[in-house]
Amino acid sequence: MKPPSSTSLASPSKPAGGTKAKRRDISVRFCGIAGDGVVTCGRILAGACASLGLDLMVNDIFSAEIRGKGKSTTTVRFSSRIVHSMGDGVEVLVGLAGKESIEEIKDVRPGGCVIYGSSIPGDLPEDDSLAAHVPPNIHGFGVPLRKLANQATGSNQGKNIVAMGALCYLYSLPQEAFIEQLRKNFGRKSSRALEVNIKAFTLGFEYCKEHYPLSFELEVLDTLEPRPLYTGNDALAHGALDWGLKFFAGYPITPATKIMEICAKELPKNGGWTIQVEDEIAAISNVMGAFFAGKRAMTSTAGPGLSLMSEMIGLAVMAEIPAVIVDVQRGGPATGMPTKVEQGDLNIALYGGAGDCPRVVMAPSTVRECYTGIQLALDLAEKYQTPVIFLSDLFLGQRMVTTSIPKRVERDRCTRKKPFPGELGTYERFKITEDGVSPLLIPGEEGGFYTITGLEHTPSGNPNFESNVHSMMTEKRYRKMKAMCVDLPPADVLGDKDALIGIVTWGSTLGSVVEGMELAREQGVKSKVLKSIMINPQHEDSFREFFASSARIIVPEVNYEGQYAALLKSRYGIQPVEMHISAVDPVSPAKIANRIIEVQDELTH
Amino acid sequence: MRYVIVGTGAAGATAARTIKRMDRDGEVVIIGDERFFPYNRYLLTEFLSGAVSAAELFHTSEEFFEAMDIRLRKGQAVERVYPNDKTIRFAHNEVMSYDRLLIATGRSPSLGPVLRPYAKLIQRYYTFEDILLIQKRLPEVREVIVSGRGLSALDLIQGMYRVGKKITYITRGQAIDVSTVESHLMGDLDSALAEREINFVHDDRIVAIECVDNRYLVKTFQGKELWGDLVFAWDNYTPNVGCLRNTGIEVKTGILVDLRMRSSAPEVYAAGDCVEIYHPTLKNYWINFGWPNAVEQGRIAGKNMAGDNEEYQIHETTLFNILGKPLEARWWD
Ligand SMILES: Cc1cc2nc3c(=O)[nH]c(=O)nc-3n(C[C@H](O)[C@H](O)[C@H](O)COP(=O)(O)OP(=O)(O)OC[C@H]3O[C@@H](n4cnc5c(N)ncnc54)[C@H](O)[C@@H]3O)c2cc1C
Repeated sequence: MKPPSSTSLASPSKPAGGTKAKRRDISVRFCGIAGDGVVTCGRILAGACASLGLDLMVNDIFSAEIRGKGKSTTTVRFSSRIVHSMGDGVEVLVGLAGKESIEEIKDVRPGGCVIYGSSIPGDLPEDDSLAAHVPPNIHGFGVPLRKLANQATGSNQGKNIVAMGALCYLYSLPQEAFIEQLRKNFGRKSSRALEVNIKAFTLGFEYCKEHYPLSFELEVLDTLEPRPLYTGNDALAHGALDWGLKFFAGYPITPATKIMEICAKELPKNGGWTIQVEDEIAAISNVMGAFFAGKRAMTSTAGPGLSLMSEMIGLAVMAEIPAVIVDVQRGGPATGMPTKVEQGDLNIALYGGAGDCPRVVMAPSTVRECYTGIQLALDLAEKYQTPVIFLSDLFLGQRMVTTSIPKRVERDRCTRKKPFPGELGTYERFKITEDGVSPLLIPGEEGGFYTITGLEHTPSGNPNFESNVHSMMTEKRYRKMKAMCVDLPPADVLGDKDALIGIVTWGSTLGSVVEGMELAREQGVKSKVLKSIMINPQHEDSFREFFASSARIIVPEVNYEGQYAALLKSRYGIQPVEMHISAVDPVSPAKIANRIIEVQDELTH
Repeated sequence: MRYVIVGTGAAGATAARTIKRMDRDGEVVIIGDERFFPYNRYLLTEFLSGAVSAAELFHTSEEFFEAMDIRLRKGQAVERVYPNDKTIRFAHNEVMSYDRLLIATGRSPSLGPVLRPYAKLIQRYYTFEDILLIQKRLPEVREVIVSGRGLSALDLIQGMYRVGKKITYITRGQAIDVSTVESHLMGDLDSALAEREINFVHDDRIVAIECVDNRYLVKTFQGKELWGDLVFAWDNYTPNVGCLRNTGIEVKTGILVDLRMRSSAPEVYAAGDCVEIYHPTLKNYWINFGWPNAVEQGRIAGKNMAGDNEEYQIHETTLFNILGKPLEARWWD
């Protein structure tokens, strides 16, 4: 019935935002300062969602300060559909630290919610109050995190677990899945730790049940199976180990250290070695030594470490010694931004060092590809006696996802080309061959005496600076890159194969591109993307075919210069639309979608 | 000038709009503990039964507040007012200052000492959130039990009837307990209840509630045992004045205000269901409630806060004007 107009508050009417429809895709960001347990929250939520069979991705952003009260956030995106990227914005912000969380509110999507602590002691000034900054198109839920944590644990510790209980109720998630994760997390410590944490969780859950009974609903399909969780760094280390890695040398550096930690723990179990050396120069030298001696070997570092390794990479090229160097890229140059992502090391990976210096550069796009890709890297290094630089990045290395890792590993799919026993007398270390690959003898074998050197040399390894020798040997080193093509996987085309807009990207940016393409498709614009783990050399035919079938090419990448675009321009003579995305945050799918739509507009007008 | 309004109901929202129209540059902050945009509370039953849409229920939106330059803080409760410091404290301990304050906190259904222990088993019927919760439960509900006074009970029964639920209505009196309805209508109401096969339990009241296998067993003073899937019960409506207790601001049942909607504290006004207004003829305070009353009081409070000097006119005949429509029309429409 209609009220008489004098009493009505007639004005543009709009519903308050549905609370009924089931959400399929949720991103939750926990924001806190050191000691708030932000990472634990992320792991517990991720563990619970993975056990429910949801697809998910977790991204941690830490302040660069190793000690102190820097702010950190963990964002977990989970869905009953495939999660390709962190997406744009979040549905829920959990402000474990109130004041520090204020600037995160801008990322909360309309209709989303903010969970904030409502039992902060003393007078809270408006400017410092998280609640004061929650705009009306977002729901705010005050929960006395501190008070309930104290009730459960007798201290302020446990606010994070109280918040987890609140989240579990507010989004109608199954409690048992969370309790199970608490058991996994705290059960090992002590029964009291487990008990107080379960209590903290329950208090948060019950508080919301009483005060905010109307919960949101998430679509959880009963048919889903529990999923394993991996970070890119985990997958990469385990990929290498499963592939028979025997030696790791490295120097700790964010964000690559985790790889070294895994190797340190796992390698000795299989008769392997991990050594922490004095710097990155020593690390690559050790790896080259081990590989030369016939052991699969690897080092991992970040941009600053790769710079230091440049000279030794040159030696590996010249002396044709295998080496695998993982660079988990972070913001640069120099010390740069240790805890932020950037794809800025492509140029140094491709060109760093003296002289004409061909090397293999690879870049995985997914966590699964970190696993499979590093195995290919070890193979290529071994077979073609070359350094392989494997460019992961902070976002790929540290993010955690649900993924399947192949169970069957075919070891020794490639072997080292060795001289036949009868050839030892005439053995030439750098013998000229059709594919550029010369038989490589493990040093120390009886009768197989030879020299290797960083000086230019003849096929037998003797130093020589004559022009024709240098040309012949340079040519040989480059020939290996061509010959390798038989072992390279062709690039894959994803998306609408008949689309006229083609995207070429590299590394972890792929996920956001795929999601951006889906968003653009929802707006009626089709596109496709070429996915290649190989940066150098490449399966060039796949690239040429892709370019030929596209009216316009977009190259998105996270660096200022457009380093990959520059490579593609010079290699294929294309004129792409370049997207140089600034570093720090994961790439926004919405920005990719907008660019696709803009390019479509240009094509049609 | 910062105007702070506590309560996003009819009185609060009208005041905010009125102030902003008179003092464009004034800063208006309106705070409410409900987490939805202000809506037409009197349409909740129609919304529940599907007679009106969400768009009709909500009279404000994000765009409205943006266009009016009014800052809405929803889902946040004010715990206490400090009239001497001219500040308010939120439940989350934030302290905010004001130049002029309006309390428009409405009233809430309340439970007496007998029902209070069963609060968790009783479904409230007052806010949009209550309605959404009821909607969620409705598919599993066949029978409901209603026990409460006033027109709201009628409203609720009407709503439940429209969504096809079997209803038991328990009342303390002989007939339906609506004191403000003209006596000649009472008979009609009773027969209407009977026609709708509503189980009418009179001269009785609930003394205990138990939850057994997701159903509710209600025991009455007369020894009856009644089963329902949902129990609605309240004893009274009480003005929400908790944030003013022991502040020195005069409160009896409601906040005492003069005809200009001024409370006993300087720069603190009050309007709507939460107030008792001075009745010049009776020479006493008078509880006046209902939607039109709240809108009118909110308008006058807003005007006076922004510098005007208007008095509220008491119309005794419309103490509870059901939006200009006679009760008959509302019930039988
Ligand atoms: C189902 C139903 C049907 C109705 N039908 C009619 C009808 O037909 N005709 C009629 O005239 N009236 C009707 N009414 C009554 C009418 O809706 C009220 O009289 C009117 O809404 C009063 O307005 P108000 O602004 O004073 O208070 P309210 O609308 O109650 O608004 C007060 C607001 O303040 C909030 N609040 C309270 N305390 C605090 C605090 N400490 N901090 C922050 N926020 C606070 C409350 O949650 C509420 O949102 C009906 C009511 C209901 C529930």
